[in-house]
Amino acid sequence: MRSLVKVLLLAELFAVATYAFGWWTVPVIAALWAIVSSDDKPARRAALCAALGWGTLLVLDTIKGPVGEMATRLGGVMRVPSVVLILLTLIFPALLAWSAAALVGAFKRGAAATPETAA
Amino acid sequence: MKKVLPAIVLAVLLFAGFRAIGPLPPIGPLLDPANGVWGLAASTNFPARQFRSIPGLSDSVSVVFDDRGVPHIFAKNELDAWRALGFVVARDRLFQMETQTRAASGRLSEWVSSPQILAADRESRAIGLAWGAEKKAAAYDKTSPAWQAMQAYADGVNAWISGMKPRDLPLEYRLLNAKPIKWEPIHSFYFLARMSLTLGLNDNTVRRLHAQALVGKAAAEALFPVNSPIQEPIQPNGQNAPRFDFTELPPPGNPDPAAIVALTARRQVLTALAPAPKDEPSDAVGSNNWAVSPRRSSTGNALLAGDPHLDLTLPSIWYEMHISVPGRIDAAGVGFPGMPGVVIGFNRDVAWTFTNTGSDVDDFYAEKVDNDDHPSRYQVDGKWRDLEKKVEQYRNRGGRVIHTDTLYFTHRGPMRKLLGEWMSMRWTAYEPSHEPDNFLALAGTHSVNDWLYAMRDYVAPTQNGLVADRAGNIAIRSSGAYPVRPGDGRGDVVRDGSTSANDWQGFLPLDQYPAALNPAQGYLASANQQPVDPRQNPAYMGSSWYSPWRAMRINALLRADSQVTPDDMRSFQTDPGSARADAFIPLFLAAASRLDSSGKADTKLRDAARLLGEWNRRYTMDNRRAVLFEAAMRELSRRTWDELSDSAGVHLSDAGSMFPEPQLILDLTTSPTSIWWDNRRTPVREDRDAILAASLAAGYDTVVARNGNADDKRWLWSERRKASIRHLLRIPALAAPRVPIQGGPGLLNPSQGEGTQGSSWRMVVELGPTIRAWAVYPGGQSGSPASGRYLDRLSRWANGQLDEVLFPKSASDLDRKRIISTLTLAPGQ
Repeated sequence: MRSLVKVLLLAELFAVATYAFGWWTVPVIAALWAIVSSDDKPARRAALCAALGWGTLLVLDTIKGPVGEMATRLGGVMRVPSVVLILLTLIFPALLAWSAAALVGAFKRGAAATPETAA
Repeated sequence: MKKVLPAIVLAVLLFAGFRAIGPLPPIGPLLDPANGVWGLAASTNFPARQFRSIPGLSDSVSVVFDDRGVPHIFAKNELDAWRALGFVVARDRLFQMETQTRAASGRLSEWVSSPQILAADRESRAIGLAWGAEKKAAAYDKTSPAWQAMQAYADGVNAWISGMKPRDLPLEYRLLNAKPIKWEPIHSFYFLARMSLTLGLNDNTVRRLHAQALVGKAAAEALFPVNSPIQEPIQPNGQNAPRFDFTELPPPGNPDPAAIVALTARRQVLTALAPAPKDEPSDAVGSNNWAVSPRRSSTGNALLAGDPHLDLTLPSIWYEMHISVPGRIDAAGVGFPGMPGVVIGFNRDVAWTFTNTGSDVDDFYAEKVDNDDHPSRYQVDGKWRDLEKKVEQYRNRGGRVIHTDTLYFTHRGPMRKLLGEWMSMRWTAYEPSHEPDNFLALAGTHSVNDWLYAMRDYVAPTQNGLVADRAGNIAIRSSGAYPVRPGDGRGDVVRDGSTSANDWQGFLPLDQYPAALNPAQGYLASANQQPVDPRQNPAYMGSSWYSPWRAMRINALLRADSQVTPDDMRSFQTDPGSARADAFIPLFLAAASRLDSSGKADTKLRDAARLLGEWNRRYTMDNRRAVLFEAAMRELSRRTWDELSDSAGVHLSDAGSMFPEPQLILDLTTSPTSIWWDNRRTPVREDRDAILAASLAAGYDTVVARNGNADDKRWLWSERRKASIRHLLRIPALAAPRVPIQGGPGLLNPSQGEGTQGSSWRMVVELGPTIRAWAVYPGGQSGSPASGRYLDRLSRWANGQLDEVLFPKSASDLDRKRIISTLTLAPGQ
């Protein structure tokens, strides 16, 4: 239950930060999450939550306006099926969050491991 | 390894997120669901109620959007109305506005780097579009109503831009990775310059010179005459039918090599100025308007129909609006995104519309300069005058200068070196004028005479302005500056620029403009035909008049109907009847019959004649014979004008110019044994009947080869005649291609090969005690491709239907069920 709440809160954070400041907040929040999280695999959770956060925003957009039509038009412009763009909208933040969290997590683990190794 | 992979992935994603890669825009801001394209999609639907503030407003403005997406702007003063208009047009059409001004000012390279775009930019600047617009803007009376309105409009546009949220950025800016520029009044002038290029640069010289090179001057003059051989003028000439001024064409003469040199230079100028003439007869395009006086309308009220034809684009060139300022303006109709005012529309008393006159208002001068490579002066009357020089820099997206040109200007206009000769151009579009004031004043007029007065000093491009009022008056005037030239007055020759005696001597006085007020015939009509019967006014006004078929058809319809209804007016706009088919089909059939009687017809000719004879000559979408007639007409032109091919066999048409108009063939049919009928490549001498019959048979062959037998679906006109509405950036996915329409060459709904031109706005207005109006244009009010208002009018336009135009006296007067959004604009910082 607690884990679910964590996921929802983190997803919410990704969504709010994206809404307020833009897409570039995704790796920033993921990195911060990796620093403060005690999670074993913070990168995976960050990826999931980023996709969830953007997915939530996408659902809200769909309620408000013709997202499907936009996907069709933009897909036509880029010569890809519209569903590819929708999937990309979920994969892009997921990969961003994963890579940022994984990188920071690796440094964090490295920093934590160094004193032990020295000892 | 645990660091390397995520580091690489992160680096790649951040790079792709922030930076454009090739044609792909930065994907971060593009896919961001809050501020990217998905957010843009979410913001295309207007909220039911919205409040915004605009700096400079003196009072609040209420803008009510009806279910057609039309803003009804209720303001307490005119400048506030224009501020509000700038705001709402920018919200719907910002990218279009900037594109049009960049095209005119030669700044598209700052968006897209390519040799073609740079070439287009260089041409725009070289022909003086930006130079002329900037000159006009600098000289414009800054206290004039139009300048004030343009400034207020710019304030409104800029208020929208500065208040835009990231998600509001139009899709095209995202694809180009660009941001909107600040709007200024000069941008409205750039737009007008662009319209002058589209409508006001007419030249028949290329066609005539090419013909002259091949068949001599006398024949060329006859093939491309100054006056139309079929007279059905805009200014009624008292006749109850078209007049056929047919004369025997002089025989082909000797080739004139000197004309080839002149032709090449001329073609270079014209290619630089405008797209090369399409290989289509002029009856494939054109605008119409007509008005009926109360005594010939079923309702006893004056009726007016407007139908300007232009390049079909998405979004549309027009933006529909209703502007209401108590005691000042209460007008609805369409204007151009980029400048304030109702250009075509109506108010409580008057309705008006335009077609293009197509008069000859540009001239070329061969100039003598002091230095052939780097001129600084040019000679006039033996004295040297300083050239005006302008160094033009072209920048790429990053702001780096990618090219520099030095442009030269004489007192006549821009000067360029072509085939070793320096030539300058004078064009009415460069002349001092105040079209913005002319257009702006129209909405405030209360009678036909008021309206004509408002257009009295209009300059360019020349327009056939049609107007009707509630008192039952109808009038038309071909307004604009008509240069008066020395000598024979012709404007279709290159003149010697070293003498001022060749300069324009002034302009035709207003009372010599083609015009009519309440004519006895009870109606008025224009379809780009020669505006005045040369027997009534022989002044040279031009020589490349559109063919008369549409004028003949609309005049025939209006003559035949003394109880015209508003719905008749609508149906005339897509009328499938053809004066051209009416003229030529009997000729084809008679020729085939005569050959059959004399035993010279084969089965193919008999079949073709039978099929053509079955046709009712109406270009309905479900007819299967128009395709045969059109093929036969193409063959007829090629076979008749075989003399207009050079020794290499390159035909006049193949060389990028156009054939003589079909009415010249009609003229020729009165001389059945004219030498022009002979095909020089055969040993026998053909006559009229032989060519007509051979053309019909060859047309039949072509259609069968391409479409199968006559019962094949591919013979359907709807399979052949389609409109193609292109996106401004020519992106296929944002366009509406191949839309079947009821139209065709020479019809009131003319349509050319690829269908990229067509009716840009159809309007019918009844000027009764209460004004009623119906209208449509292809596309929709929104420029956002995802919006439901991007293409919502297309199917009704394609089917020839019109929407009722709402014209409420106040916001509360509008049916609430038809309101989709209310925007309240308040004064702000």
